[in-house]
Order: sequence, then C-alpha cells, then structure tokens
Amino acid sequence: MTSQLGRLIPQLRIPVQPKYRPLRNVEGSYGRLKNLRSTVTALVRDERVEMQYIRLDEARGYAERLIHDAILHGDRDTHTMDMANFWLTEKQLIHKLFKVLAPRYAEHRSSFTSLYKLPPAYRENDKGAPRGVLELKGNPFPPLRDGSTDRKHLLHNVLLDEARRQYRHKKYQQLAAEARAALADSSAEPPRRPSGD
Amino acid sequence: MLRRRTRIEIPEFYVGSVLAVTVSDPQAPGKTSRFVGICILREGHGLRATMTLRNAIDQQGVEICYPLYNPTLQKIEVLRLEKRLDEDLRYLRDCPLEYSTFAFDMEPEHAADSGEVPVNPVKVPLRPRPWTWRWERAGMKGLIVPELREDFYERAKKVSEPWHKYDLMREYRRSVPVEDQREIYAEVHEHVQSLETDQRRVRRRRVFVAPKKTS
Repeated sequence: MTSQLGRLIPQLRIPVQPKYRPLRNVEGSYGRLKNLRSTVTALVRDERVEMQYIRLDEARGYAERLIHDAILHGDRDTHTMDMANFWLTEKQLIHKLFKVLAPRYAEHRSSFTSLYKLPPAYRENDKGAPRGVLELKGNPFPPLRDGSTDRKHLLHNVLLDEARRQYRHKKYQQLAAEARAALADSSAEPPRRPSGD
Repeated sequence: MLRRRTRIEIPEFYVGSVLAVTVSDPQAPGKTSRFVGICILREGHGLRATMTLRNAIDQQGVEICYPLYNPTLQKIEVLRLEKRLDEDLRYLRDCPLEYSTFAFDMEPEHAADSGEVPVNPVKVPLRPRPWTWRWERAGMKGLIVPELREDFYERAKKVSEPWHKYDLMREYRRSVPVEDQREIYAEVHEHVQSLETDQRRVRRRRVFVAPKKTS
C-alpha cells in the first residue's frame, strides 16, 4: 500500500500503536468510529473523562489530530471544519475547539492530552477491564497528580531514616568513648622531661 | 540506493508515460532485451520501488513489473513523458487492445519546453463485461464506464464505506508525517540537487525527430 503523501500531516506527540484496535461493534467499523466520536465529544466538552483504558487510548489519537489540525489550519479550512463537524456532535463544541482550545495549545510543544491508568477497582460485577482517565492539559479541575517528588513520608523511607539516625548516634557514642579513653591515657602519663638539664 | 543511481539514470516519469527498458538477459541474442510499454502502476518505496509496463504484442496484452533498483536493468528511456487522469491504469486490461499498443521502434518524443508535465485527458472506453474488477465502483476519471443495471449501484452503495475519510488515525498510519519527511529529504538533499540538474539537462536536450515521408 503506497503511503498517501498528498496532504501534509504533522507527527502525533503521543505513542501510537502500530495497529488500530478493532473495538468490536455491532455496526462494524462505522460503529467503532461512532463510539470513539462520543468519547472525543465528551473529552472536548468535559475536559476530563474516565472510561475503559483502550477506548481512551484509541480516542486520544483522534482528539490530538483534531486539535492539531484546528491549530494549523483554523476554521477557514473546509477539510478541518468537515472533520470537526463529524467528530464533535454538539455544535457549540466546534466553536470551543477553534476559539478556546486552539489558542490554548498554539504554543505547546508536547501533547495536548494526558492519559492515566487507574488502579483496579475490585468492584462486584466488574469484569476488571482496566480503566483510565483522559484529560485535556490546562483543564480547570484540580490536578490528578500533585507533581511532587517528595518520598520522605513513605513508610520504608521513614524506617530507613530512623535506622540511619540510630546507627549514626551509636557510632558517635563509640567515637566519643574512644576519644575520652585516649584523652584519659594521655593525661595519666607523666609529662616527659627533656633529657639534658 | 544513491550508489545505484550514480550507475544508472532513473529518469522522471509518471503513470501514463511510455518507457523503454533494456535489461541484461543471458539467453537473448546480444545479451540484452528491450521492452517498450506504458507505465500503468508504480508501487513500493525505496529499494522496493517497482513499475509495471504494459504493451500488446501479437494481440496479446503483456505486463512486466520491473523493480527500479534491479541491478540487471541497463537503461530506462522515457519515450513519452506525460500523466493521465488516474494514478493507476490497470483498467487498460479490460479496454480494447488499441489503447495498450505501443510500437517497439517508437521514437522518443520531444519534451515540452515548460517545466510542467502534460496531462493527457483521454478517456478510455471499456470492453463489454465481464471485467477483472468492478469498475463501476472504482471511480476512475480516465475511464468511460457504461450504464449498468440498478442493483449494481445499490450493492455498491451498501458495500461502500464513506466514513473512512473521517478516520484520522487510519489516514495517519498510512502517511509519513511532515517531520519524518523533512528528515529524509535533508539526508538526500545534496544528491537530489545533482540529480535534478541532470534531469533538467536531459529534458532540455532537443531530440531531433526525423521527418517521415507521407506519400
């Protein structure tokens, strides 16, 4: 299959699987696109969505491409408008894409979305499919990760710090005892007289 | 790839151009064999790039697929440099043979003075059915498809997948991103410069077409 080099497509700034996930659907490939369309619409509307991880991973590529096209070509380009019209089912969101999101990400050098994996839920009647959170960067909500790299409060670090403190204390005490002993020895010795007189 | 191109000149040509290819053949008299044909297809990238030439010899259509970097290729001549309305002329298999016939002693035609490659807007008619492909679904611009029964078009509509044009990731996976393209072009930049001057020199060279006696 010769690659289509007609329209210049910028590189995606997210990891892309070499093969698409079929996401089995009654309506086939069209149903898959409709499914992902509702995910992309929800992402642009709510700026943070929580769903099955693989569905979010698939939808992430479409959202990134849509936003990047909106930044590069703007709303005057018919092809970009056609894509936005298909991918965003609520028409106010097309305005949001071009008027809010495109200016927000115009100077970005990295991806426009963040995808996180959630821990297992262990709920009853939960088949255990991994869930995730996909969010647009710069969203108004409190951050999911506080970004701090402080690990001092973790239990193993607390225990290790205390062990280190106690060892150091013991070592200091030993050194102090040795120093005192050395000092006592030197003071017990009679002072040395010079040989001549 | 670039080293091979210093040994053989691969000229500029498109699907629809008429080429003459000389290949070394140990069994042939003179140890070479020459084939003339219209390029109906170009596939592959890099060292796997191929072209398919089609001609009709003794009322029999013949197609030969040549890898462009085949070391036994000795010479590639462009006899007629032009484009057609489609990137793929495989429909000539289902068209009358006169549209695929090119004389082996065809002289190279003088290239146009302007830098642009001419587009031949010819529309080729199809032979009566059966065909090798469902040409009513293919949307070929250089082909005249006769009117068929209603159910052909109904079935075509049912089977078509018009939503593929909205599938942005499908398009992305089939393309080379701009940044990668720039990297590749930067690597061959200096070689492309010298190749372009060679090609321009060849195109500008005026080929004298000997006048033929009419009476």
